[in-house]
Amino acid sequence: MRVEFKDIHKYYGRVRANVGIDMTLEPGRIYGLLGENGAGKSTLMRMLAGHTEPTRGRIFFDGKSPQGFNPSLALAMGVGMLYQDPLDFPALKVWENFRLGGKKRDRKQVLKRLQELGDRFHFRLAPEEKVGELTVGERQQLELLRLLDLGVKVLILDEPTTGISVRQKEMLFSTMRQLAKDRGRTIVFVTHKLAEVEELCEEVIVLRRGKLTAKLPAPFRPDELIKLMFGSEQKGTEADQRRHHPAEKNFIQLESVQLLGEKYTLEDISLGIRPGEILGLAGLEGNGQELLLRGLAGLARVMKGRLIFDGQELQGRPYLTFRRSGIHFLPAARLEHGLFPDLSLNEHFHLAFPPQNGGGHKLLPEEGLKTFSIQAKLSTSARALSGGNQQRLLLALIPRKIRLLLLEHPTRGLDHGSGQQVWSHLLERCRQNTALLFSSADLEEIKDHSHRVLIFYNRQLVADRPTSLMSVEEMGRLMAGEGRAV
Amino acid sequence: MLSTARLGSALGRLAASLFLSLIFTTLILLIAGAPPIDTLIILFAGGLGSATKLAQTISVWIPLVLCSSALLLAFAPGLWNIGIEGQIILGAIFAAGFLRPFAAGGSPLILAGALLAGMIGGGLWAYLAGALKTWGRVHEIFGGLGLNFVALGLTLWLIFGPWKRPGVASMSGTEPLHPSLWLKEFEGLSLSPVSLVLALMAIGLVIYLLRSTRWGLSLKAVGQNPEAALLFGLKPNKRILESMLACGALAGLAGALQVVGVYHRLLPAISSNYGYTALLVTMLASFRPQFIPPICLFFAALNVGSIQLPLQLKLDSSLNGVIQGVLVLSVFLVHGLEDHFRLRRKKK
Repeated sequence: MRVEFKDIHKYYGRVRANVGIDMTLEPGRIYGLLGENGAGKSTLMRMLAGHTEPTRGRIFFDGKSPQGFNPSLALAMGVGMLYQDPLDFPALKVWENFRLGGKKRDRKQVLKRLQELGDRFHFRLAPEEKVGELTVGERQQLELLRLLDLGVKVLILDEPTTGISVRQKEMLFSTMRQLAKDRGRTIVFVTHKLAEVEELCEEVIVLRRGKLTAKLPAPFRPDELIKLMFGSEQKGTEADQRRHHPAEKNFIQLESVQLLGEKYTLEDISLGIRPGEILGLAGLEGNGQELLLRGLAGLARVMKGRLIFDGQELQGRPYLTFRRSGIHFLPAARLEHGLFPDLSLNEHFHLAFPPQNGGGHKLLPEEGLKTFSIQAKLSTSARALSGGNQQRLLLALIPRKIRLLLLEHPTRGLDHGSGQQVWSHLLERCRQNTALLFSSADLEEIKDHSHRVLIFYNRQLVADRPTSLMSVEEMGRLMAGEGRAV
Repeated sequence: MLSTARLGSALGRLAASLFLSLIFTTLILLIAGAPPIDTLIILFAGGLGSATKLAQTISVWIPLVLCSSALLLAFAPGLWNIGIEGQIILGAIFAAGFLRPFAAGGSPLILAGALLAGMIGGGLWAYLAGALKTWGRVHEIFGGLGLNFVALGLTLWLIFGPWKRPGVASMSGTEPLHPSLWLKEFEGLSLSPVSLVLALMAIGLVIYLLRSTRWGLSLKAVGQNPEAALLFGLKPNKRILESMLACGALAGLAGALQVVGVYHRLLPAISSNYGYTALLVTMLASFRPQFIPPICLFFAALNVGSIQLPLQLKLDSSLNGVIQGVLVLSVFLVHGLEDHFRLRRKKK
């Protein structure tokens, strides 16, 4: 289907989300949509998917511009969107959710279809499991399968590669290519990752401050794209790459630890962590890294083995003991699990920093906003913050004296600039001897920042090696269960 | 803090809801074959018409304010404490039980003891519902509802069993208290100054706790996001139990005041459904403390006025409950419609 945007403007009050967008999307092509957070990508795509109407201008589908365009009409016309936060039904079972909006089928047919599609992408989804119990990545997979089943003609993917393995990504990409070439589907791929655009897209659309700055065919020059996105060339992360050396002695020791999660157990983990050390956790979602982070935070039960922190055995102790020992955990779903949506920033600061144990380290809320460049007022509610500001707020709320930081996807959904800010803060903390464990779906991020990489496959720790001895390709292979760790 | 604009829109909503419920009520009255205007006049004049009636209204206002303030504490961490009805009853039982050894009379100190006993009784009953939730994974609505029935059964058993009046066990309750254990009333009015002061203190205390203390902020945080509250080290389960305990204590105080200040004995219907009414009040107030006193006054006036309905118009006084229910539903309708139109406007 051919999609034409004709002079699209979208204003929210005085905020100009999109200004005069003119472009045509041809069938059978894969487009990359690039832009910083707040550049207007989501607004543009939300209009395409019928969630909101343009203030001015029209969108034409094969020359037609339907009246009263809305999401169900969009879907009926073949426009489907895979959201970063999947629109699904936590109370339903996987197969029930999959059936929604699709053809009339009985349970058996649904299971068969789900199996077929799942096999094609190597997505392992248990049909009887509740959607609410899936991880974010698994829910994205489910939603993707559902859209493909509905036979959408224009597929919008909002950062779809978050939370899936390199192998799965390759399969997803080849499917995208197949859908575009053989079936004439139009694919719009919204992303922050230049490498993925280079790998997959035939054409790139760059937005900056609501305006279309470029629409270029492949091959792309990354430095040129960065310039188009940000206005001026930005230095790479190499600048703050002078990696510091962690201390010599382990202060955390895991001895044959078995962790009990909500859905699975992680067996026989032995591991030492040194002060100031940065460990990157790579693995498909649901393969163990989430559980290790939660276990170290005191949020998952240690069934066997010993977890020693500064000579003290912490297994079996409550979460607050872990917290008081200086362990801090930040979950991937920031607003859902990490913040209080309707409380103000000021209230968040008050909750995080009790006045009685300020101990000379009392961080004034105003200072917090400035230090972490959170672009909001103290009276703003957390719900109203952008993803980047939410993550900066969470960082600002970390107590000063922390020994071990545990982060899930520290830069997921953030633009390049915000991501760099997050990392410069984290590295500063690590230089002051805080150890950091983080999980990420972005292997480059792990390669760039960690001293050691831990790789999880099939709910086991399959490799624990210095990052310098491992290439991104090798990480990908291990994550996908190919090859053996030495 | 509440901005003037938001306060204005809240008042606007309230006015729209009142108007809507007036229309519905009129319709219901027409269907019931009652003269709508006369009925409404009796309902309101009946509660506010004279000093005696006003005093009566205020004596209903007191338990309503106590219970609504109590519920604000429970709603802060997101608890639907429907068990408040049983907590009032337990407060009454504990107060009556505490006073049993003093059949020959006692000092004001004993009276204070009875009020404290009532708070403990209500608090324990609420704590039980809280413990069922945090340890037993029983939702507080079901736990509370169950405990309400147990509380009601307990009063009946006491009144017809161990605490029955010598010779005659009846629905009219236990043996009246010795007059020295009755709360003093304003001269010539059935209204106790002590109760009034306690109710005013309760709402003041709740506003202070929720607005200005870290404890109140923690409660709100738990209500907003229990998982994040856990990560912040706010001990969500402990906060839930504390808020239930505090809520139950205030409800128990209301129950104790019904015993020593109003009925001077334990009755089977000692709670007068004030707990359920307070739930309606709190929802009607959109959980904002500043709206609690006026809305309680409105409900209390309706309550007292409705007593006149059977006398003057031969209508059943349960009409009052219908009107209160219609009012709450109207508020929800106005809220819902407003949200709907706001979304539509946003989309435009």
